[in-house]
Amino acid sequence: MSASDSSNNVSLNRRALLLGAIFLVGGTAALTRFTRDPDGKSPAGPLFSPDQFALLEQVTEVMIPATDTPGALDAGVPAFLRQLLSDWGSNDTRAAIVRVLETIEKDAWAKYGAGFLEIPAERRLELVRSFDEKSIALRDLAYGKFKHLVLLAYYQSEVGATQELRYELVPGAWRSCLPLAEVGRASAV
Amino acid sequence: MDFDAIVVGSGISGGWVAKELCARGVKTLLIERGRRIDHKVDYLDFATPWEVPNRGMVPEDEQAEHYAIQSTCHAFSSATRQWWVRDSEHPYATPADRPFSWIRGYHLGGRSITWGRQAYRMSDYDFNANKLDGNGVDWPIRYADISPWYDRVESFAGISGAIEGLEQLPDGQFQPPMALNCLELAFKQNVEADHPTRRVTVGRCAHLTEPTPEHIALGRGPCQLRSVCERGCGYGAYFSSLSATLPAAQKTGNLTIVTDAIVERLDYDHAKRRVSGVRVIDANTRQGASYQARVVFLCASTIASTQILLASRSEYFPDGLANRSGAVGRYLMDHVVGIGASGTHPGFLDRYYYGRRPTGFYLPRYVNITENDGEFVRGFGFQGFSGRSGWNRGAEEVGVGAELKQRLRSPGRWDMRLAGFGEMLPRADNRVTLHESRKDKWGIPLVSIDCTHGENERRLAERANRDAAQMLAAAGFENIVPNEKVSPPGQAVHEMGTARMGRDPATSVLNRYNQAHDVSNLFITDGCCMASSGTVTPSLTYMALSARAANHAADLLGTGEI
Repeated sequence: MSASDSSNNVSLNRRALLLGAIFLVGGTAALTRFTRDPDGKSPAGPLFSPDQFALLEQVTEVMIPATDTPGALDAGVPAFLRQLLSDWGSNDTRAAIVRVLETIEKDAWAKYGAGFLEIPAERRLELVRSFDEKSIALRDLAYGKFKHLVLLAYYQSEVGATQELRYELVPGAWRSCLPLAEVGRASAV
Repeated sequence: MDFDAIVVGSGISGGWVAKELCARGVKTLLIERGRRIDHKVDYLDFATPWEVPNRGMVPEDEQAEHYAIQSTCHAFSSATRQWWVRDSEHPYATPADRPFSWIRGYHLGGRSITWGRQAYRMSDYDFNANKLDGNGVDWPIRYADISPWYDRVESFAGISGAIEGLEQLPDGQFQPPMALNCLELAFKQNVEADHPTRRVTVGRCAHLTEPTPEHIALGRGPCQLRSVCERGCGYGAYFSSLSATLPAAQKTGNLTIVTDAIVERLDYDHAKRRVSGVRVIDANTRQGASYQARVVFLCASTIASTQILLASRSEYFPDGLANRSGAVGRYLMDHVVGIGASGTHPGFLDRYYYGRRPTGFYLPRYVNITENDGEFVRGFGFQGFSGRSGWNRGAEEVGVGAELKQRLRSPGRWDMRLAGFGEMLPRADNRVTLHESRKDKWGIPLVSIDCTHGENERRLAERANRDAAQMLAAAGFENIVPNEKVSPPGQAVHEMGTARMGRDPATSVLNRYNQAHDVSNLFITDGCCMASSGTVTPSLTYMALSARAANHAADLLGTGEI
């Protein structure tokens, strides 16, 4: 028990995020808008409207693009996040994620006079890059949570863990000190 | 008589008692309040990160509502949720300004499934401490009394570790050690050069690295370096009641296990000065039942065993069974945690490792052994954790897009954390009592826990923070962050001391064999028995004391003395 597990960096970071959620405020209005079923059917309808989900898809793909390995879209990051927020996220967390997406959309209008989905790819990257820089400088909790969840969704997916990074279900051995080049990529866990 | 012996609780202590009694031919009933678990079958250890529910996270609302305390344990996740009680169903009372974390699980095997698996011997520095500085009562045993039992439990459990020749951290019967990583080796050289009496060694952990025929016969195999231990291990590579002691006990044909049976109280026969029955409530049907045996072992865990003693009031023991001394429920201890420091290292960027070693390293106590500190008594050891940061760091660092992906493809900087475990003094006002009015859903009075750290713990914590930061700085670490807040007691999950061993029945509850001074057929071998906390993790000591007490009880059963 106690702090005696060597593999707890992940869970420590997660816990910090969960604690951070306590301090998120003012998301109720945004939440109401975002959780409203576009067809007005039921409160248990989809978390994101089609437009909002499209925005999530494009923002995450900008954050983790397809390169020589699959990106966020091919790894199923947006769909996973939608499921995660539905199964795991509290109202506060959902509201925080919504707020981040709304702010990115507002930024696009302010800077380019068009929605995020309408601006060209290089401008999307520029926008998300400056948003990321600003939010991290401000230690914005909502953005920190959003970025962590996007990374979690990607790097702990099968694609992210096994194609982009390295994952062994059963390492079978402990080799305590090796040249990095011999091991290759970072371990996913 | 239904049985020769009854053991209450199936965790580390109860498992060991059952194993040893059964091996001696004692017909044993093991009572567990939680549900039955099937070793290997009920573990999620083969789930990949993408198969674990919600990537390991327990739904936020559910966690807040049902696991507010349990979720503070690092081992809590969606892959281990079944190993923790719901706080909402198992409340206890604490004063509003004095929190205590009671972290636990109710199922066969108890916390032996989720324990940190660190296994260290106490030394005569620990067994002599109370007598020397006057805090607490003198231990009725010394290292020589327990040493052969440490040998015995280490061989059977399988403890991996390195021989160090330190008086304050005696060596044992070890499985081959796991190696230190590159940074730990450098840190070791640096610390030991600067401080000749400080030592860095790989964590001694209850993992098989070279199983013996005895281990293999129980279905156990070597550690596969997965580090999903707290989910339960399908290889049986680490010691738990389910991987080791209970299968061994079952092989004798002398073990009967009853699960879902909550012990409500022990009945006492004053004429014979014995426990005459163990009364249980079925956790599901709430049906009452009673079991009888010639000897009863309480191994329900420190606070739960205390609760049973306090609830077993009678005309002859108005303050709780075996409590003539008034010590039952008092002198609650844990280890002081939340102390130490962490930092990052700029070097070794071309070095890495393969596999997930399931233990950190250990820096044993030196303070008030080779380096005296006039500000406080006793001391602390450090558990150390070190590795290269992973993709997680991406959320805290600026950057998105292909650049981010490329960067996270390689491991980040090395980091190291020195987590102090400080000794906590036994103080009478750190108490477990029964709540005056509140009861649980089975009608059993709730426990109230009132426990704080004292001045000695605060001073010791300051020194630990200072030393940890200093050692990291001297070894070239940067971004050093000393811990600033001592965790609430209970956070080490080493609660102990509420039915302590001692020489004098007027001031202690148990004798040198963990037998109640006042009740000849009652033994308690969980953390209750500890007269002082020492600095090392206590589980190995519980194993050794349990094995020793069980064999003593078997002797007494043989001669008809109990």
